[in-house]
Amino acid sequence: FPPAFQAIARNPIVLDLAYNTIEFPDIEHRMKKDKRAKGGFISRIFG
Amino acid sequence: MAPKPKPAPSQPPAPPPLEDLFTTLNKHIQASAFTNAVKLTDQILAIAPGDEDALRCKVVALIKDDRFDDAFSAIQSSKTLPEDFHFLKAYCLYKQNKLDEALQSLQKHERDDETMLLESQILYRLGKMDDCLDIYQKLQKSKIDLLEINSVAALVMAGRSSEVQGWLDSF
Repeated sequence: FPPAFQAIARNPIVLDLAYNTIEFPDIEHRMKKDKRAKGGFISRIFG
Repeated sequence: MAPKPKPAPSQPPAPPPLEDLFTTLNKHIQASAFTNAVKLTDQILAIAPGDEDALRCKVVALIKDDRFDDAFSAIQSSKTLPEDFHFLKAYCLYKQNKLDEALQSLQKHERDDETMLLESQILYRLGKMDDCLDIYQKLQKSKIDLLEINSVAALVMAGRSSEVQGWLDSF
């Protein structure tokens, strides 16, 4: 044990792993400045 | 009596600022609403043709929306191709089953883990299992999730099933 692997008459599974590497670029710096982020900063000081 | 001032020629409403459009685009991306994301990128590109961030978002959104022909056209529309676009182009060609062209496009990209992954998948479809396995051997140290599944597939298709156990042990 374990038994030896044997080929079987079936197409094996292949995953599209390259797809997982395709991601959106970071566009944070192109967006409007988030006011809540500022509030969070102040509340971190005064809160 | 002074003549009445002519009414100002009607002007089209000013386009919304780009940062608003990018904010909305980001919301669509976060919600995986890729069709709407593409519409936003088109709005941005209408105002700022050649905006690389917008074009990159458009291509990725089209790919995630399974619209590989459109993604390919969007890439071709760009006059200058940033390096990472060659990978996206190769991926579109791979999905269109234009495997030789896909390999050619990949060669214009730096050889990193991503390009090797895609290259291995193209080689698998071309039936070049030994070349495919060479890449998987190189990628082993990168600890890519689920890579062993594709390695086993290539081994089996290469008629090297007896090596499967050894491969799995090495992961």
